[in-house]
Amino acid sequence: MEQSLFDKPNSNKKTDILTISQITFIIKTALENTLPGKITITGQISGFKQHSSGHCYFDLKDANAVLPCVMWKSDFAKLKFKPENGLAIVSTGHIDVYPPQGKYQFYADSMSPAGVGALQLAFEQLKNKLAAEGLFDDEHKKPLPDYPFRIGILTSKSGAALHDITDSIFNRWPVAELFFYDVPVQGDGAAEKIAAAIKDVNKRNSKLNLDVIIVGRGGGSMEDLWAFNEEAVARAIFNSKIPVISAVGHEVDFTIADFVADARASTPTKAGVIAVPDIKEVLAALESADRRIKTNAISLFELCGQRLKTILAAAMFRNPLLIVQNREQLLDGIENNLAQKADRFFAGIKLRIETLGAKLTACNPKSVLNRGYSITKNAATGEIIKNIEEININDTIITELKDEKRIESRITGK
Amino acid sequence: MAEKDIDINGLSFEQAIKKLTDIVGKIENGSISLEQSISQYEQGMSLIKHCRGILQKAEKKIEEISKK
Repeated sequence: MEQSLFDKPNSNKKTDILTISQITFIIKTALENTLPGKITITGQISGFKQHSSGHCYFDLKDANAVLPCVMWKSDFAKLKFKPENGLAIVSTGHIDVYPPQGKYQFYADSMSPAGVGALQLAFEQLKNKLAAEGLFDDEHKKPLPDYPFRIGILTSKSGAALHDITDSIFNRWPVAELFFYDVPVQGDGAAEKIAAAIKDVNKRNSKLNLDVIIVGRGGGSMEDLWAFNEEAVARAIFNSKIPVISAVGHEVDFTIADFVADARASTPTKAGVIAVPDIKEVLAALESADRRIKTNAISLFELCGQRLKTILAAAMFRNPLLIVQNREQLLDGIENNLAQKADRFFAGIKLRIETLGAKLTACNPKSVLNRGYSITKNAATGEIIKNIEEININDTIITELKDEKRIESRITGK
Repeated sequence: MAEKDIDINGLSFEQAIKKLTDIVGKIENGSISLEQSISQYEQGMSLIKHCRGILQKAEKKIEEISKK
C-alpha cells in the first residue's frame, strides 16, 4: 500500500500537477488505509478547550510529540470526569485528516484517566469542587430531630435497603410513621430521579410534615452507587429543608451524598439507629422523670411542712393571747409605776404643807401666850400697845391670855 | 386545671419532653415555692401521661408517597 502511495505520482507523467484538495485527499486516503479504524493512545492533555458548540479541542502530547485531538459533544457528555490540562489519559478513537486546516487529528470517542479509574477521578473532582463551594461545611448541617414521628425513605422498592431501614426503625421506634418514595438507585437517570424525589418531598412537606428523610441503597460496586456521587443528588440534598440522612452501601463506601447530607449512616440499617431513638430508653427516661419529680416534690412538701411546723411551734402560735397579755402586763406596769409616782408626789406636797403649817403655827403670835406671855391692847382702839405713850391714865386696856381669855383693867398710873 | 390539661395534650412529644425536663430540673434544684412545686408536680405528671400516651400508639405504618 505504501509502495503504491509513493509510486503513484512517480507513475504519472511529470506534467501531472495536483491540486491541494487532490493531494490532501491522497494523504487522507493513505492514512485511512494504513491506520486501523480504532486506535487507543495515551498522552497528557494540554490546551483543553470546550467550544460553545459543546465540542472539545485539545492536544495530547508526550515528551517528543504532539497530536491535536477532537472530542464531539455527544461523546464528551458520556464522560464521568472532567478532562483537565496535565492529566494523563488513555483514549480510544481514530486518526483522520482535516482538509480545511491541512492537519491530521485524533477523534476521541472515549477517554479515561491513566492510572486511577475514571469514576475515582470524577469522584475526587466533584468532591473537591463541592468542598470548595462549602457544601460539606458543618454550618450547613441541620440538626436531626430527637423524636421523629414522620420519616421519609427514598430508595428503590426492589432493593434490600428499604426493609433494612424500616426494620431497624420499627425495632427501635415503632411509633414512627414511614413514608416510602420509590426511586431507581442505579442506572441511567437514577441520579436525576433521586434529586427530583428529594425536591418533590420538600415541595410537598407542608402536607407530608416529614421530620427527616433517609436517602440510600444497599451495597454495590462504585458504578452501582454512582448515582449518589452525582452533582444533581448532592445539590438536592444540600437544598433540602428537611434534614437528610444518607445511607449508601456498606461501611467502607463513601459517596458525595454522604459528605453533603446532614448525617451519614454507614449502612441502611444504621440509618434507623441514627434517625430514631430507642423507645425503651425514652420510656426509661420518662420513668426516671416520674420518679425524680415524685421524690423531689415529696421531699419539698416535707421540707415546707417542717418549716411550717417550726413556725407553728413558736410561742405566738401556741398562745396567741400572749401578745395581748404581754401588752396588758406592760400597761399594768406603767399604771403601777404611775400610781406610785403620783402617791409619792402627793405625799411630798403634803409633807411640805405640814412643814409650812408648823412654821406658820410657830409664827402665830398667840402661840407665845401658851408660854405665859400676854398681849395688851387698847380697849378703845383694839391696837396692841407697844409703847407706854400709846396709853394714858384711865384708859381701859385688855390683856389677852392663852385660850382666848382676856382681862380688862384700868390704868391707874404709869 | 382543666385548661392546663388541654394545653398539654396539644404539645408535640418533643415539646412535652422539653417541658418535662425543665420541670424535673426546677423541682430538683428546689428553687421554686411550695405553691409552684405543687402546680409543677401536677404538670409534670400530666406531661408524663401525655408522653406515655403517645408512645402507646405504635402502628408501624408505611405509606407510599412516590409520584407515579
